[in-house]
Amino acid sequence: MSEPKPIPVTVLTGYLGAGKTTLLNRVLTENHGKKYAVIVNEFGEIGIDNDLVVGADEEVFEMNNGCICCTVRGDLIRIIGSLLKRREKFDAILVETTGLADPAPVAQTFFTDDDIKRRTKLDSIVTVVDAKHIEQRLEDSDEAEEQIAFADIVLLNKTDLVTPEALKKIEARVRTLNPFAQIHHTSRCAIDLDKILDKGAFDLARALELDPCFLHGHAHDPNHNHDHDHDHHHGHDHHHDHAAPSAIHDENIRSISLTTSKPVNSTKFDTWINDVLMSEGQNILRTKGILNMAGNDERFVFQAVHMVSEGAFTGAWPAKDKRRSRLVFIGRNLDEAGLTEGFNACAA
Amino acid sequence: MPVAKPVITHAFGDYVVATAVNGRLFAVALGDGTVRLIDSETLDATPVTVAAHKGAALCLAADIDKGAFLSGGDDGRLIKIAALGTTEVLAEIKGRWIDHVTAHAGSGVRAYASAKDVYILGKKGGEARKVSHATSIGGLAINPKGKRLAATHYNGVSLWWLASQDGAPTVLEWKGSHLQVTWSPDGDYVMTAMQKNALHGWRLSDGEHMRMSGYDSKICSMAFTRRGHFLATGGSDHVICWPFSGGGPMGKPPVEFGGAGGAPATAVAANPHHDIFAAGFDNGALMIGQPGAGTNLIMKANGNSVTSISWNPDGDRLIAGTENGDVHIVDFRP
Repeated sequence: MSEPKPIPVTVLTGYLGAGKTTLLNRVLTENHGKKYAVIVNEFGEIGIDNDLVVGADEEVFEMNNGCICCTVRGDLIRIIGSLLKRREKFDAILVETTGLADPAPVAQTFFTDDDIKRRTKLDSIVTVVDAKHIEQRLEDSDEAEEQIAFADIVLLNKTDLVTPEALKKIEARVRTLNPFAQIHHTSRCAIDLDKILDKGAFDLARALELDPCFLHGHAHDPNHNHDHDHDHHHGHDHHHDHAAPSAIHDENIRSISLTTSKPVNSTKFDTWINDVLMSEGQNILRTKGILNMAGNDERFVFQAVHMVSEGAFTGAWPAKDKRRSRLVFIGRNLDEAGLTEGFNACAA
Repeated sequence: MPVAKPVITHAFGDYVVATAVNGRLFAVALGDGTVRLIDSETLDATPVTVAAHKGAALCLAADIDKGAFLSGGDDGRLIKIAALGTTEVLAEIKGRWIDHVTAHAGSGVRAYASAKDVYILGKKGGEARKVSHATSIGGLAINPKGKRLAATHYNGVSLWWLASQDGAPTVLEWKGSHLQVTWSPDGDYVMTAMQKNALHGWRLSDGEHMRMSGYDSKICSMAFTRRGHFLATGGSDHVICWPFSGGGPMGKPPVEFGGAGGAPATAVAANPHHDIFAAGFDNGALMIGQPGAGTNLIMKANGNSVTSISWNPDGDRLIAGTENGDVHIVDFRP
């Protein structure tokens, strides 16, 4: 009678040559006790004869006229729909995207289509970054930037090809684009697959497990390199830290992190965040937050991909944690003053 | 309303992808790649198991030959299954899936789709004619006369003449992703189920559009009554039936029947002799009913979502498949 457990889906992005295929081959060959159905964009690249590997066509569909927040991947709906008919035979799904793909339609597919929403759950977006070439990629393409901005997990790959100093600089650059992603250093994508698969990054209840330091700012940053960051203090309890925007062009992706130790009024927050995402959702790529709602003893976790958002109370605050709220926006042309003011006005 | 004998249930143990009927044979395609054949005359006989595909079967249709079926799978193969259970590989596309298949006995045409390509196999055999589209195919249907093929895709439907070897399709345009497609029995209406919980339609004689929305979920099944008076559709907690007699459904409200405690209808099938439908629901309930009239519950809700229903040509027996692999055979013969 009960619904079968939703199948976790990991989305793998990364610029051409970053090492996605190496990672895919590892997932398909290594003895990790799980069977993956793999949806690839270039069928020939996978050197393995496996009937659970299928080629996709990257067909981006608009659900509503012209709104990028309502774009989905039609081919994924079709392929996953068929895969689910043989669901007893695999444990999880891995979706590879092309180097030039915008990850948003892939992510939105899992929140938009009813059947897919019911039977699968987006587990995490993993972005493989070529440490040697990333700086150049970030200069000459929007996609490389977007892929990092969307990530829950970043694999900084080919670290053997760069100096420790250069790596530190690259990591800081990644961090400015995405303050909440977990960053792992690898060469030849050699990483314990447990660190990237079945992480539950989109599972509200597990979002904190993944990133227990989220409330304290730069989680999982072993270097705590604040070279490019600065903090503003606004007298009272609020403060936010953000990366200095690069001067190269105005369209650069940046992040804004807002925090407060005042309890938040849930009705006010709801109205405000919906408003922000409705009007600015095209510019805001991802939003993640943990909120201390007034009058509720549980932590409220919130996340969004463009306009598609979800939020839920996910359990009690750990005794050791100070109850405070943090909300991170990653996007383009973010109105920092407006967002700060709006968030502050949500105080109970 | 006919009364059913006790239901015979086969537990095949894997997702029922589709059911089909050809003459006295019922066929069931499963997620384990097998196709099961059941003789509708001797219902208590053991079904024949045909190992058709290496992966999952993805589609099934009655073949042009008597008692035979066509199945497509994620092993890229199109298989013809003869009445005795012998198989023949009609086509193989490496590394691709065959998602849709259809055939028209009268004109001897078979058609199948893989991603953006549709292949048309003519009566004379030989090389299939391949026609391509800008995006993946969501559904295929040959018109009742066997002259035209409708292939749905993003932003509309392409209509191909089956007799000609070349020529461009007539494209019926409507923004959005179109999935399953069906023709009215008179061949004048082409109806598609869309990705976003709505139905779209075209009247070919004057190019008139129809938009039907308000569904609770995706419409994964629809069927016209034998003379085309009603189009029954799944997707809501009742079976929504659009009246097509007397000038089409434009401006008319739909008529409903059935209901199973709020679960959406997931499969509908029209009886070939009477204006009644069989309908299956997401919670496993199975019933027959008439638009705007009563229903006869055959199977109570049991949690196993109904995926496909087919009637035999005499309209006195039906087969219904479910997500967990249970296949119910219902006999209405006196």
